[in-house]
Amino acid sequence: MSVLDHSLTTTTTPRAYNGHTSIYLPAIATIEDVQDETRLEKIFTVRLPDGQNLGHVPGQFVMFSIPGVGEAPISIMSSPSRTGETFKLCIRNAGDLTSIIHTLKPGAEIGIRGPFGRGFPVDVFKGKDMLIAPGGLGLAPARSLIDEIIDNRDDFGRLIILYGCRNPQEILFRDTIQEWEKRDDIELMVTVDRGDENWTGHVGVITTLFEHVDINPYNTIAVTVGPPIMYRFVTVELLGKGLTPEQIWMSFERRMKCGVGKCGHCQVNHRYSCQDGPSWTYAEALAFEEAL
Amino acid sequence: MPAKPKVAFFDFTSCEGCQLTIVDLLQTHLGLVNLVEIVQFREAMTEKGEDYAIAFIEGSCTRKSDEDRLRKIREQAAVVVALGACAHLGGVNAMKNRWAIENVQTYVYGEDGKAMYESYEARPISAVIQVDAAIPGCPIDRFEFLHLVQKMLQGRAPKLPDYPLCVECKLKENACLNKLGKPCLGPITRAGCNAICPTYGDGCEGCRGWIPEANFDEMREILRGHGLSDADIDARFTMFNHYQMQHMGDDAPVTTTVSPVKDEPLPTSTFAAPQEEPVR
Amino acid sequence: MSLYMFPKEKLAAFVEALLPNYRVVGPVQTEYGYAFDDIASPEQLQLDYTTTVLPPKKYFLPQREVLFNFSNEADDQGQPHLDVRPVYADVEPTVIFGVHTCDMNGIMLYDKVFAEGYKDEHYAARREQTYVIGIECLRPCDSAAFCKDMGTLTAPPVYDLHMTDVGDYYMVDAGTGRGEQLLLDHVPATMARKEDIQQLGHVLSAKWPNFRMRLKMSKDQTPSLLTLGYRAKLWEELGEKCLACGSCTNVCPTCFCFDVQDELDITMENGARARIWDSCQLREFALVAGGHNFRETKASRVRHRVMRKGKYIKQVHGLLGCTGCGRCERACLVDITIPGTLNALSDEMQLEPGD
Repeated sequence: MSVLDHSLTTTTTPRAYNGHTSIYLPAIATIEDVQDETRLEKIFTVRLPDGQNLGHVPGQFVMFSIPGVGEAPISIMSSPSRTGETFKLCIRNAGDLTSIIHTLKPGAEIGIRGPFGRGFPVDVFKGKDMLIAPGGLGLAPARSLIDEIIDNRDDFGRLIILYGCRNPQEILFRDTIQEWEKRDDIELMVTVDRGDENWTGHVGVITTLFEHVDINPYNTIAVTVGPPIMYRFVTVELLGKGLTPEQIWMSFERRMKCGVGKCGHCQVNHRYSCQDGPSWTYAEALAFEEAL
Repeated sequence: MPAKPKVAFFDFTSCEGCQLTIVDLLQTHLGLVNLVEIVQFREAMTEKGEDYAIAFIEGSCTRKSDEDRLRKIREQAAVVVALGACAHLGGVNAMKNRWAIENVQTYVYGEDGKAMYESYEARPISAVIQVDAAIPGCPIDRFEFLHLVQKMLQGRAPKLPDYPLCVECKLKENACLNKLGKPCLGPITRAGCNAICPTYGDGCEGCRGWIPEANFDEMREILRGHGLSDADIDARFTMFNHYQMQHMGDDAPVTTTVSPVKDEPLPTSTFAAPQEEPVR
Repeated sequence: MSLYMFPKEKLAAFVEALLPNYRVVGPVQTEYGYAFDDIASPEQLQLDYTTTVLPPKKYFLPQREVLFNFSNEADDQGQPHLDVRPVYADVEPTVIFGVHTCDMNGIMLYDKVFAEGYKDEHYAARREQTYVIGIECLRPCDSAAFCKDMGTLTAPPVYDLHMTDVGDYYMVDAGTGRGEQLLLDHVPATMARKEDIQQLGHVLSAKWPNFRMRLKMSKDQTPSLLTLGYRAKLWEELGEKCLACGSCTNVCPTCFCFDVQDELDITMENGARARIWDSCQLREFALVAGGHNFRETKASRVRHRVMRKGKYIKQVHGLLGCTGCGRCERACLVDITIPGTLNALSDEMQLEPGD
């Protein structure tokens, strides 16, 4: 299977209505649960009509809307293996729409379109050692892949997770991370740029973790998800470990208004991040002047 | 529906045209009173409630003694919105800042009258108190006002367009006035008015303030192309935006100084009467 | 399809016959030029016109188009319920007269953009309701045009009918069955005879010397020129001049980018989600929540536009994104032009166009 293949079939889109379909019409979904995660992030459990399965792959996103406020792309936190009648989104309060999303209570009705975009090719990753290096909120989309690997653990080689945050308050999924730490089939390291009085772990930017890891470049796939600035440094480390650009996957955040390759906002060179991305190999990204 | 927020309107140095626009809006969109409770609005009602959460303030601050009143409004209101160009930018009132204030007072009120009328450099209300949002324009656009109220009721932070008027003008398929040789500040002025002046054939005068990326150099070149002198261009740049230019200091994109010039002659006018006979 | 002809003086009768059943639009005279607008009586239609401010794309992707209506009304228990109802072009059947070949090339690209990948039925509904009647360009309509360079001086297969002025007659090519029906139902047209077709051939051959070339290179070289010139100094120079006003993209027959905005009615319970033309030249176009702007500088935005026109759109949809209509040049107040940019780029890169 070519990694550039992506399917145009999505669960909720396009929706039929009076004999027409609209790629812009959201399904009306319900917020089942809201959990505070950090000072800035909340986790929303979303249920599609009739508990329909979202049918996504790790690394994809949905368009989340509150009609009357707006719509924005949100990456999916749940792995397919843990998606039944509901799925989870970890959303940072970072703007106009997300600040209103953060006021939503269980029972609220919202709009969902998608899933959209090219996710990570999990089948291609099978049998490989996986090095996953998320930064900050990047752990949310990476979580989708990590849980998928954990739930199909025998299909993959080593699972190395290197997680970097600016400070201890920003660390996501603390309980889950503690569970990962206990497992002997996950090699986990967490670092913060700046610690506080309670922090006893590693201090330093995410790249300072790489010297503590030995990998077999012949059989490793690296996946890194984080802010644009992080990619420049993480890719240097990964190349230094002997990985080729084809073995490095990343996910790009871009402004998106439609999610279906029409509105033009998410363009990276000639590619639409909502269709041809948001997951790319570093080799692909290198070919785009605008990517990094 | 939660309790309607209480809203009050206030005016300082202004023509009250922005408040008039809201009175007008209430004729066509009476449903607005189902969204908010107006407790004070001198132009529209006699009651004067002092319990309000949102204050809309029209007019610039041109007297030291007005500052206290502004601060009192600020203390009471959870949200303060500058209503229109005068409150938002200082507006046309700030044109007088070009001359020393005593000269202006003498010019307007005469030697004997000047002491009776307090005045100081005109300024936007944000120069005196913290302002949470602004509705630009001279006068304001009624729909922009309505949308801002709706956005605030949703709990959202209002946001102004940061692209120029040309966008709206093109969408309306207007002929470009600058292309026709008529000066228009649309390329550097913040959109949101639906390009109303150019639509009716009048060049934009910049009442909504500049966009963040205003290209003053190229705008000046375009205006020079229409035969305007640099002094004329400065006058256009400072008509509504004198206060901003003043505070840009040496970075102000004008060829003359925008700080008070004591010696510069005041303009002659048949309207003002500086030579009038002293009041007996 | 077949080639027909009808006497030119019958055009008014054609329009007159369409008016009861169709919205008829076409180029009309405005105070300062021409614009595509509704036609109420045949004499308004000006088939000999200079380029309009906006191309006819506004009939397929209006400046503002409602995608769906929503309501959030509370039930008996006071619990609000969300409902969404899509809006499809409530357009009446429309006939667009007098579409120049450049603008038909723009429509051809639109057809690809909105049909490829996810099909956009909002666009499709308008497109299906609209008949395109082209007019052959026999003389340049605007000195800013460079359609001959861009290969858009011939009609692409998007028209229902295509008219060529051959003197006393219009020769009409029926591009679609429904176009043929529209013609035959509304005007006494006859099949073109062999000698008519020969005359058409003469007219079409004779037009080419009337058009000048403005590009130093072939249109097929623009993608590689832009690849080589990605880091040229030229972009900085253009970025300095650019007003970031978005006029070039708003008037462009191939620009299709849009913003999506929600609007509420006065009750704030109901509203509409609409798409509105947007421009990659505006500061916020590539800005994401959190503050990172992927095209912060005007230079990067000017470059992106030219890259799209001369390279990216072709990579995605197989057609160049410029039709050579000259509208962006007419709209620009600081003389940034596509031919000027491409020529300056080839100068800076010291490229010889070759033979």
